[in-house]
Amino acid sequence: MKLALSPRLVLAAFIVLLAMAPLALPAFYVTLLNYIGLYAMVALGLVLLTGVGGLTSFGQAAFVGLGAYTTALLTTSSELPGWLAWAGGSPWLALLVGLVFTGAVAFLIGKLTLRLSGHYLPLATIAWGLSLYFLFGTMGFLGGHTGLTGIPPISLFGYELRQGEEVYYLIWAFVLAAVLTASNLLDSREGRAIRALKGGMVMAEAMGVDTARSRMVIFIIAALLACASGWLYAHMQRFVNPTPFGLHIGIEYLFMAVVGGAAHVWGALVGAGVITVLKQWLQDLLPRLFGESGNFEVIIFGALMVLVLHKARGGLWPILVAGFKRVIPVAAQRRSIDRDVPALPRRELPAAGTVLLEAKGVTRRFGGLLANNNMSLEVRAGEILALIGPNGAGKSTMFNQVSGVDTPTSGEVRFLGESVVGKGSRTIARKGLSRTFQHVRILPTMTVLENVAIGAHLRGSRGVLSAAWRLERAEEARLLAEAARQIERVGLGEHMFDEAGSLALGQQRILEIARALASDPCLLLLDEPAAGLRYKEKEALGDLLRKLRAEGMGVLLVEHDMDFVMGLVDRVVVMEFGEKIAEGLPEEVQRDPAVLQAYLGGEE
Amino acid sequence: MMAENKRSDRALLQVDKLCVSYGLVEALTNASITVGEGQIVTVIGPNGAGKTTMLSAIMGLLRSRGGITFDGEAMVAPEVETMVARGMNLVPEKRELFGEMSVEDNLVLGSFQRYRMGFRDHAQTMEEVYGLFPRLRERRTQMAGTLSGGERQMLAVGRALMAKPKLLMLDEPSLGLAPLITREIFRIITQLRSRGVSILLVEQNARAALQVADYAYVLETGEVAMEGPASELAGDPRVIEAYLGLGGKHQEMLAT
Repeated sequence: MKLALSPRLVLAAFIVLLAMAPLALPAFYVTLLNYIGLYAMVALGLVLLTGVGGLTSFGQAAFVGLGAYTTALLTTSSELPGWLAWAGGSPWLALLVGLVFTGAVAFLIGKLTLRLSGHYLPLATIAWGLSLYFLFGTMGFLGGHTGLTGIPPISLFGYELRQGEEVYYLIWAFVLAAVLTASNLLDSREGRAIRALKGGMVMAEAMGVDTARSRMVIFIIAALLACASGWLYAHMQRFVNPTPFGLHIGIEYLFMAVVGGAAHVWGALVGAGVITVLKQWLQDLLPRLFGESGNFEVIIFGALMVLVLHKARGGLWPILVAGFKRVIPVAAQRRSIDRDVPALPRRELPAAGTVLLEAKGVTRRFGGLLANNNMSLEVRAGEILALIGPNGAGKSTMFNQVSGVDTPTSGEVRFLGESVVGKGSRTIARKGLSRTFQHVRILPTMTVLENVAIGAHLRGSRGVLSAAWRLERAEEARLLAEAARQIERVGLGEHMFDEAGSLALGQQRILEIARALASDPCLLLLDEPAAGLRYKEKEALGDLLRKLRAEGMGVLLVEHDMDFVMGLVDRVVVMEFGEKIAEGLPEEVQRDPAVLQAYLGGEE
Repeated sequence: MMAENKRSDRALLQVDKLCVSYGLVEALTNASITVGEGQIVTVIGPNGAGKTTMLSAIMGLLRSRGGITFDGEAMVAPEVETMVARGMNLVPEKRELFGEMSVEDNLVLGSFQRYRMGFRDHAQTMEEVYGLFPRLRERRTQMAGTLSGGERQMLAVGRALMAKPKLLMLDEPSLGLAPLITREIFRIITQLRSRGVSILLVEQNARAALQVADYAYVLETGEVAMEGPASELAGDPRVIEAYLGLGGKHQEMLAT
């Protein structure tokens, strides 16, 4: 074993350095660090929103403005309306009001715009970013473009924070609290749901994650962080005007997140630091170089952005980490799995023979194409049903109809006796159906363990706040232990902590089975589980499915490997051109002339 | 057997002690393989053994250490474009079609590098491809994203053939395909050999792969564990035990 520092020690060293900075540095640099801290909080929100959640926002500066103006108004105005009078004069109460107000505004804006996808969402953020900015400038009671002055300093335990190095500690305490909160949140059940937003929405919904809620959660968190930054800014500057809350600043915040490393919470600090220092430096240097004044730094920033996007998509943080580790080895933070925690409660499986899934006359039209035509099938507890047929026969479409990913044009789907047509995959997942996908849907940069834990999402209940403050560790340990158990069960134990994307395709399919099992289903839908597996691996998979069947689970599977299917399943349904052409025992189906001609071949 | 006679002495591709690592993890260790002109060579082995990694490294998609000699020329740090220009082509595991483009446009793009090098024979090559895959001609105006699994694979192979490769590397050509289509794909693989295309085949249906191949390698945990003429390996008890199993009448049929 090589000697390596623990990550905690590195963090502690960083905090000590931060604490000593004002003692050692001239006032100018302390001010610079104050700004870096303020910007970092906003950028941190963007890391959650954009880097992790995949929602791009150009409008964060407006939320900073909300925080700043709320406190400015409340602490300077002498004529507050009666119902708000209690909050007047105290910065701390103003922070509270600001957070509540910003949260409400974010909720409203989120409700209206978060449904937008693709480039529409960024455009919408530009729209409301602009609107709020001009609102600050035109409202008479906010002082128009001159703004509001005479904001009091924040006082802490009766001590007024007037100097830069005094407010410094408050700002950085906020920053560190925000960073730790964000990292805690991301490393939790809710956090995995958030991390699935980028590129894993269909899968996450099928695992029972309410993705609309997760989007709203990060949107509001990002807005609250911006608001807190605005509050600190107002009391540090002691006056506010609309300029720092405009769209161009919103773009600069996004720069910071991307340059620092949009997918890493610490990237926000790096980005804010680099951009702020660079800006300062360039503002000094460039006019001297060009011999006249002007905003030349913006041009350099543009070029820098292009360079980062080309050479370091992941931002500077991953490069810094790699460089740092080369000089000073840091021990990898490896998750330990506590095996002694009580197992999660299990669903009571229906008695063998109970009809789990019943599809009757399901028809799905895509324009003129009949993908499924009057399809019926039934899966019982304790049986394996195979759905086979040529490529393009509509098997995966049928899967989507019964699992709620898609809604049939007509027909009936009942799960455990209850109609589930149009219910959506989340509802059906909660009832006990879990599935895998034909084209694997995993989160490649998350570990195998985390990917599988998403499957257990519905078996936990602790929310965002308890995750942020680590009050859900007992539940989290149980979820992870369950995920680990399923991973070992399917034979991926040695890859537990590997990135899921590094697995071979066949192993990724097996991972999907573990993820589906982690939800404790009573019905399992497997779309080509054996594709890409080798003989031994197929044997192991067959054994696993037999065991599940014996435990009373129902399995519906689509598969092309006939040696695998015919030796395993109880009944077979054959499809061609969207319709059922045969149904029966494996031996019967294999002799059926229609099946031989359409699918199996050998009818020469 | 016919396949035995066909083996030529001239090696089209010679891979010597190829190593690939992802960070600290070595995915491929000193793998040496040879593909003779006009041969079908298959690589079998479990998931995660490094088969896809090997193909990617040969193609120049991944950085590797070791020697790669292609068509008599030693390739130092191969790059994809040069390899395609030299006559090597890879049909990747995930097909990687241009889903929003028509079947025909996908095919035309396959001849891009040849066109750039001054060859203007893509219309004729396309006719040949349509000859091999009549289904693609029927669907030529359809968007690639709307094809069924079998048609996608045909298009992926067809697109690779548009570059008139000397060596075609197929990564799991039968993945997700129904038995009948799989048989067709295997038929086409043997047909291609008779047209002088050499083939390096990675395939899940080990039994069928060994049946069409001339020579075979077994790759386990990043290393070549066994090699030999395909018919010999198909009879080797260790191979049967680990990769073929007994029975398997359906798989047997795939290569007929």
